[in-house]
Amino acid sequence: MISLLGRAAILVALAACVVGAIAGIWGGVTRSAEAARWSRWMAWAFFAAVAAATGLMEYALLTHDFSVHYVTEVGSRSSPTWVSIVSLWSSLEGSILFWAFVLGVYAAGQAWWTRSRYPEHSAYAMGMTLLVGVFFCYLVAGVANPFTLVDPAPADGPGPNPLLQNHILMVIHPPALYLGYVGMTVPFAMGAAALLAGRITPSWSRALRNAMLVPWGFLTAGIILGGWWSYDVLGWGGYWAWDPVENASLLPWLTSTAFVHSAMLMERKDQLKGWTLTLLMASFLLTILGTFMTRSGVFNSVHSFTQTPIGPVFLAFLALCLVFSVVLLAARIDKLTPPQEGLSGPASRDTAFLAQNLVFAALTFTVLLGTVWPLLNEAMSGEQISVGEPYFNKWGVPLGFLIVFLMGVGPALPWGRASGSAVVQRFLVPLGVAAVVVGGSLAFGLRQPWPIAVFAMSGFALVVSLQEMAAPGLARWRGKGGSLVGAMLEGTLRTRRRQAGYVVHLGVILVAIGVAASSGWRHVHELTLVEGQTGQAGRYTLTYLGHELEREAHRTASVARFHVAVDDRELGVLSPRMNNYEAMGRPLPSPDVRSVPAEDLYLSLVQVDPKSGTVSVQAVIQPMVWWIWVGGLVMAVGTVLAAWPSRPGASRKAGAPTGAPAGAEGAA
Amino acid sequence: MNWRVLIIGALIVIPLVVVLALGFGRDPRALPNMMEGQPAPAFAQEVMDQGTQIALADLRGRPVVLNFYASWCVPCAQEHPWLVKTAPGYQQRGVVFLGVLYQDEPAKGKGFLRRYGEAYPTLLDPTGRMAIDYGVAGVPETYIIDGQGTIVKKFTGPVVPDEFVATLEALL
Repeated sequence: MISLLGRAAILVALAACVVGAIAGIWGGVTRSAEAARWSRWMAWAFFAAVAAATGLMEYALLTHDFSVHYVTEVGSRSSPTWVSIVSLWSSLEGSILFWAFVLGVYAAGQAWWTRSRYPEHSAYAMGMTLLVGVFFCYLVAGVANPFTLVDPAPADGPGPNPLLQNHILMVIHPPALYLGYVGMTVPFAMGAAALLAGRITPSWSRALRNAMLVPWGFLTAGIILGGWWSYDVLGWGGYWAWDPVENASLLPWLTSTAFVHSAMLMERKDQLKGWTLTLLMASFLLTILGTFMTRSGVFNSVHSFTQTPIGPVFLAFLALCLVFSVVLLAARIDKLTPPQEGLSGPASRDTAFLAQNLVFAALTFTVLLGTVWPLLNEAMSGEQISVGEPYFNKWGVPLGFLIVFLMGVGPALPWGRASGSAVVQRFLVPLGVAAVVVGGSLAFGLRQPWPIAVFAMSGFALVVSLQEMAAPGLARWRGKGGSLVGAMLEGTLRTRRRQAGYVVHLGVILVAIGVAASSGWRHVHELTLVEGQTGQAGRYTLTYLGHELEREAHRTASVARFHVAVDDRELGVLSPRMNNYEAMGRPLPSPDVRSVPAEDLYLSLVQVDPKSGTVSVQAVIQPMVWWIWVGGLVMAVGTVLAAWPSRPGASRKAGAPTGAPAGAEGAA
Repeated sequence: MNWRVLIIGALIVIPLVVVLALGFGRDPRALPNMMEGQPAPAFAQEVMDQGTQIALADLRGRPVVLNFYASWCVPCAQEHPWLVKTAPGYQQRGVVFLGVLYQDEPAKGKGFLRRYGEAYPTLLDPTGRMAIDYGVAGVPETYIIDGQGTIVKKFTGPVVPDEFVATLEALL
């Protein structure tokens, strides 16, 4: 029954997308308001149908309806309820259904948001979004149909991949990433609409940037949560391994971050339209490439599912999107771009933006090349190679440093032409702070050049960000007098988007500090202890208290307990575990971490030998990992502040009455 | 039509799609058997910390175990203690064990051995030539070569102890 209803709902969703896509593009070409309205209705219908299909699948998973094909793949009567719910995105077909559902949510949101605005572009944009919807509905209805009937229905199933049910973060990391990936469709569709219409108005370019902030925020959250998941689950004490699929999420993040910045130049100075739209299209194309990497089995990676028939279909879609984007850009770019005036001076914010964009583009290219190089090499020479962490670190570290550098220098520079002395004056305090950081690090006995450089640059960028955040309030206070606190509050509230941008920068600074410190001073100790024995890992004293076997319905676990102390201070007990899932041959370590702002102690079991009564444990000591997660949270808060819809007209009034020539959207 | 944009776009897009399409021809997990039964590529590499060289040709008549590893590789650390524990018994029976440091610095390789144990010499492969000759797709990978210089077994990822022991026993 569910199998039948599910297939019907998907077919309705497919039909709605087809009709809506045609209506939208027709409405764009003919400027017919009637056709545009039809495409919006179809977006609602698409949302309703795909939501129904997703609801049916959840129902089947929760009631263990093994007549539904997907449930036989990932369902298990012994799974806890939360595992059954998240099973929706634990395997291939379910995650594509989930993708379609998220696209439905975005399409409905787009229909509502553009219902009475942007008459020139909204129909085209709606049509393009639904055109992407056609592809995903086609996947769900065809090659990746999760609703296929299984007859006779088996009594029980294997449950989802153990790696994925090992941790609660599995509930939020994939949805966040999907919301980021899928959401890129909307700005892509809007960018394509600008090219199709051959015109880009200031209001549309502002809308484009706002449409990007939403998926950008989710993508950021998804990446950070992914790092956290890998840190807490995979048991090797790292949060980033340059795995092809991690790279796949990083690539669109890099281009969309570059877009968010160059879009400000486009909005403010009418410059770089072609480049900005290229970044926009590239962000979407890279999400499709990323999904292809995850789902097709072409790349060998922890995330890869098996070899599937979806690969070729996905590749065809990717190729189609790539060709469409390149041809569209080439055909229309000259229509958009009026003859440009050159950029201001070498020491201006405009130039810093451009440099920032180039660094992001270089980093994107580096990561993309490193990711596909093994395939490229094999295609050319027939030999297999692997591009390891050394390659990415060699290029990624200097480029990442440059990003922090530009994040500090850029906002300190004024828009347009700047006098040399003004620039020097603005740099004095931040440079002083950077110098103090370097001196402090050296005095503290630190000697690693890259991390110290990142610390110094972070100090610089921190001061600049705080100065820029305080500027509107201070200017208000100087201009109007009154209480300092009141003026600061008023100035801050009136420049919300600008403030939000700097909040995001503060988050990035925290992440940069955490990454530099934790990778610069990472220490790994391995201890083999018998019960009651004490060993030393750095300054920590570990005492092995023994281990127990825990039985749960879906797994058994060996839980070892270690008493931890520093000098004579007791820090409590850490219990790393080794989880055994029946479906999987080897045990999965599940680490236990003591995380404080200064330092993480990370214990991961290597081996429990019941015969000799020994346990081998890996102790990873890394400073300031905690800052990465907090930085991610700060970035998320900043993004929400930036993307929060403003009252109509409010954002225009928000031009800050500051002495500095930076307006409402001074940063992000 | 802006031809410059079109040409640059095509130069990026076409190779990317072609490469991805070619990727379908293979199963990334099915590779291990490709090298099995093939003659082992010759090598003559410097030994870490010793300045001497070891060449495959000098080892004729004796089974050889080649283990590609790196300090940045987590599965390597997981399999290494088992190899260290297992090697001495077979070394007495004439088997040559060699580690090969893959895309890594000697100093870090030494740190790895200090931490996880050292039972046999490590060869350096600074240019990566040896790894390419052997078709190393990632670390760890382990090759078992018989006395006639033929690869009889390849492990992609950590060695499977039972298969490893069975393969060596059959050669002795």
